[in-house]
Amino acid sequence: MELLLYTALFAPLVGSLFAALFGASPKTLLTGVVTSLLLGVSLVASTILLVFVISSGQFVHVEMMTWITAGDLYIPFGFIVDQISVTMMMVVTLVSTVVHVYAIGYMDHDKGFNRFFSWLSAFVFSMMVLVMSDNFAGLFIGWEGVGLCSWGLIGFWYKKESATWAANEAFIMNRIADLGMLIGIFLIYWNTGTLQYHEAFAAMPALETATLVWIGIFLFVGAMGKSAQFPLHTWLADAMEGPTPVSALIHAATMVTAGVYLVVRSHELYALIPNVGLFIASLGTFVAIFAATMALVNRDIKRVIAYSTLSQLGYMFAAAGLGAYWVALFHLMAHAFFKALLFLGAGNVMHAMSDELDPFKMGALGKTMKGTMILMTLASVALAGIFPLAGFFSKDLILEVAFIDGHYIIYTVLLLTAGLTAFYSFRIIALIFHGEDRHTSLGFHPHEAYKFMLIAVTPLAILAVIAGALQGSYYEYVTLLLPSTEYHIHSSLVYWTMTIGTQLFVIASIIFAYKKYMSKSVKVPDGTSAMEKSFFYKLLINQYYIPYFYEEYLVKPYRELSTVFWKQVDQKIVDATVDSIANVIYHTGENTRNMQSGNLSTMLKWMVAGLVALLSLAVVFGLATRHSDEIMLILSGLGV
Amino acid sequence: MMEIGLNHYLILSTILFSIGLIGVMRRKNLLMLFFATEILLNSVNISFAAISHYYGDLTGQMFAFFVIAIAASEVAVGLGLLIVWHKRHNEIDLDLMSTMKG
Amino acid sequence: MLDNILSILVFFPAVAAILGFAVAKDSIRAYGVAVAFIEFALSLLLWFSFDSSVSGMQFMEMVPLVPSFGINYILGVDGISLFIVILASFFTMIGIASLGETKNVKNMIISLLFLQMTMAGVFVALDAIVFYVFWELSLVPMLYIIGAWGGPLRIYASVKFFLYTFTGSLVMLVGMLFMAYFYYQATGTWSFAFLEWYRLILPETFQLWLFGAFFIGFAIKVPMFPFHTWLPYAHGQAPTIGSVILAAILLKMGTYAFIRLSLPMFPDASVFFMFPIAIIAIIMIIYTAMVAYAQEDIKQVVAYSSISHMGVIILGTFALNVEGITGSIFLMIAHGVVSGALFLLVGVIYDRRHTKMMAEFGGLASVMPRYATIFGIMLMASVGLPLTINFVGEFLSLLGFYQQSHILTLLAGIAIIVGAIYMLAAYKKMFFGEVTKEENRNLPDVNKRELVALVPLVLITVWLGVYPKPLLEPISNSVESIVQLMHDKSISEEAKKRIPNINNEITIAKEAN
Repeated sequence: MELLLYTALFAPLVGSLFAALFGASPKTLLTGVVTSLLLGVSLVASTILLVFVISSGQFVHVEMMTWITAGDLYIPFGFIVDQISVTMMMVVTLVSTVVHVYAIGYMDHDKGFNRFFSWLSAFVFSMMVLVMSDNFAGLFIGWEGVGLCSWGLIGFWYKKESATWAANEAFIMNRIADLGMLIGIFLIYWNTGTLQYHEAFAAMPALETATLVWIGIFLFVGAMGKSAQFPLHTWLADAMEGPTPVSALIHAATMVTAGVYLVVRSHELYALIPNVGLFIASLGTFVAIFAATMALVNRDIKRVIAYSTLSQLGYMFAAAGLGAYWVALFHLMAHAFFKALLFLGAGNVMHAMSDELDPFKMGALGKTMKGTMILMTLASVALAGIFPLAGFFSKDLILEVAFIDGHYIIYTVLLLTAGLTAFYSFRIIALIFHGEDRHTSLGFHPHEAYKFMLIAVTPLAILAVIAGALQGSYYEYVTLLLPSTEYHIHSSLVYWTMTIGTQLFVIASIIFAYKKYMSKSVKVPDGTSAMEKSFFYKLLINQYYIPYFYEEYLVKPYRELSTVFWKQVDQKIVDATVDSIANVIYHTGENTRNMQSGNLSTMLKWMVAGLVALLSLAVVFGLATRHSDEIMLILSGLGV
Repeated sequence: MMEIGLNHYLILSTILFSIGLIGVMRRKNLLMLFFATEILLNSVNISFAAISHYYGDLTGQMFAFFVIAIAASEVAVGLGLLIVWHKRHNEIDLDLMSTMKG
Repeated sequence: MLDNILSILVFFPAVAAILGFAVAKDSIRAYGVAVAFIEFALSLLLWFSFDSSVSGMQFMEMVPLVPSFGINYILGVDGISLFIVILASFFTMIGIASLGETKNVKNMIISLLFLQMTMAGVFVALDAIVFYVFWELSLVPMLYIIGAWGGPLRIYASVKFFLYTFTGSLVMLVGMLFMAYFYYQATGTWSFAFLEWYRLILPETFQLWLFGAFFIGFAIKVPMFPFHTWLPYAHGQAPTIGSVILAAILLKMGTYAFIRLSLPMFPDASVFFMFPIAIIAIIMIIYTAMVAYAQEDIKQVVAYSSISHMGVIILGTFALNVEGITGSIFLMIAHGVVSGALFLLVGVIYDRRHTKMMAEFGGLASVMPRYATIFGIMLMASVGLPLTINFVGEFLSLLGFYQQSHILTLLAGIAIIVGAIYMLAAYKKMFFGEVTKEENRNLPDVNKRELVALVPLVLITVWLGVYPKPLLEPISNSVESIVQLMHDKSISEEAKKRIPNINNEITIAKEAN
């Protein structure tokens, strides 16, 4: 069993190092194949471990080696395969394998083919470290590792200014959140004496609530960066600069879910501080609707899908914040499948349209790209939450959770968001695949993707369909570790009204979207229509002007303040002080040099002056010594 | 008639000393500088002799002899150098002799 | 031989340097590399024979110099100084091996060997006068290296460096003389030996003044804000090898001296000044990171980043607990490795283009991929990515200081953010984007000579990031004894509270079991 754990963990690393050897060489198909194979190995190992954990209910726990020891601090490299981590492992390895195979086709013509697979496998390795670690420090290693790999992958096409800028933005924004997480880790160590999950959580009930609240808040700040919760969300949409397989893997299925994983893993802590949980849930709900509104008008298909990810992450945090950890994890799993599918389909569309991203320039692609159309529609149906696809089981469950606990505001907002989700998802489906052909006149000649790419993503499609059926058995095994609250609405009437009502609402949104965007009057917007000039449209398409705000009021002032610090403070004040001390000494020397004029007459005058001075001093001191008593009397009289 | 006491000699010495000092400070001609130096030395001699007579101790007067001897030798050397300098530069103005500027 | 290994380590390079004058110009490089290699091998032998479980001084040597004043030649090494000594000899070796085109290379190599003597001397000296002699002597070869092989403003830079540091050291000397005098007053014998000074418990006011005196000397060397302005000039004008040694080793003298002298001798003063010094450290971290962001010259970016990292080291030192001080010592080693590598990397591009302005570059990743990769690894190390050597040091330092103050640690933790900002911006300016300048299009990638220095540094960065235990263990042991000493010696309540009592914890643990 330990061997399987190590295989699952290190196979991607081996693949990454292998591909790195070819890093600077032109494309060799071998790198893509070998890395995908190794990921497949990891997937197989994870599956076996899953079966083991389900059937026996036991964990697999190893301590590989000591990492840091200083004083009382002891941090090992330790890994654990329990119900939570094995779920994550399955999701990560499955989606990663599919993405790797897909990428062999997608990155076919790219010069950096080998480098791409090296980074991609390294990313999977970091994510595995993140989910398999048994202590907070190991989590942090994986945490920063995925940050690094996402930097390398978002900025993969490093000749593009926008790509490298987005990569830096992602890294720095994540770092801001990482500081919060680091403080949380410090708090945990100094209050419980350990960073191992098991021991730290066992010690937590004994701590004061205030301390626990701080730990919870700081850890959540870390989660906010990775999972792009407001206000650290702008990097997610900009991260679409990277190649689409990267988006599929990192931003749909794995990296962004690290934040949710953290909250789920720390459920024992959050169960003790329900107020923080409520805050997390509220923030998640806010993000859900916030992102959905921005997706309504966006003209970049990848961005729309990115916002939908952000929105669904909000759902997951809402569930986790309300204490429904197994529900959050379930939605994470289902979402991984259909979102990755959606991204990969979008990748096919992009490739076909020579990297064009505006859906208004497409239209009627369903004729030439039947396979992709079916896959993306399937994924969108799952996303919208239509029975019997996966999304229904996970999303509706979250709505039920909110309703049952009496959080009606959260429920309403999430319900509304569900409608918006359906609308914007099918907006782009309609614009891309249906309606009039707008692309041929613009000079595009689309063709379907390679067959093997379509075949590679079918496992995702299958899972998007059937994952709902797995809910029962999933519940059985995961609640061995997570709190097993069952969410059942007692009144049948209420339950069925809710469910059917939600479904009708969602289906209505879909039909509305189809009607609006399949009509013949759809054309490429050029800035003149009334809608485009309206306030709300401008607000949404500029992402509520938040990126503008960050750029104008945070980034620019920082840059200018830095220049001020350099030129005005460091050079003109600090350094000038040092130099002025030196100058004073130098000039004193220069001036007193005049005494050495070589002119005997002047020097004699100085000599006389010195003589007079010394004599006066001698006289004064002599008098003072002689009359010291009277002087003391006068001084004491003056009160000195 | 007034008694000429020690003070009178000391005052004389002081006056001569200041005359010498001012001469040292003001004179630009090297030869005049020597004169002023001589005045300084002689003023000190007067006070040595006066004090020595006042205390009845001959040490002061012996010291005055030393001073006279040294003054003479110093003037001899100085005048010799002055003559050499005059031969080379044809003038002995102090302001023009600043080759040892620092 | 093992009994005198420290003396050999100190004086062998100097002797070899003097003999080097007789070596022919063509063979001086080989000679230099051979000498440095032997020195490094000796330092490895030292490590090998070092007993990690002992926390006190090992390999001690003593020769009386001026017995009537208690000035003796005392050497000794413990966990704190061992690794800096090894690092010094390592850098001399790879520095000489990777020296590029240098005029008067014979003088350069001889200077480097003398410098190696002074560096080894400072870290193993256990007598104040011997320590001071080596401390000041280290300035001379550096002055020469910057002044003879430096850039346009080299005379200004080297004189500023020398006079500034020298002035601080004079204040320190006064402090040392006072300390010796107090020792004489207290015990009746003169002594300048550190180990004997440790046993002296000074009243608080004396501690405060002496701490201040020593602080001036060390603070200028570290360099701490606002005494840091000599560093950008020194780095900017120095040749590559000068910058590498300066950043890797010479800066560590200041922080090492804090741990070796200020902390054990003045524990109450250390606690008293902890918060002001922490504030200075935080200013160092954030302010210099922002200044680094505004730079146009890549070498200055790295120079200011050095100061920023030294801020974290100071913070760890003044955490006054085992985790913090261990972290700061480890970070000293880490910073030496990473900064040294970064300066070498800047030297690589400077050798090719004779400019350090980032605006002159751009798009280098496609022209020099290996260089870009190594630079990227070192960048991530500098930013403190886990599994690189810097992370271990920073994590421990911040973790240690967290116990003293939550808020200040939060502010100091901003280091990870601002560090990422300037480093990523610089990397982007240099390596990403299209190649805009024609001169950059055909630059050769890193050659074997440069790789000789860079590859070992990369390997160390990753190896010690993943498995820091071989270093952490001896360091931690020695630090425990210093912290315990501080706790036992401290007289004020505040100090007793803030400095942990290690023996107490061990006994409590024993009783609990």
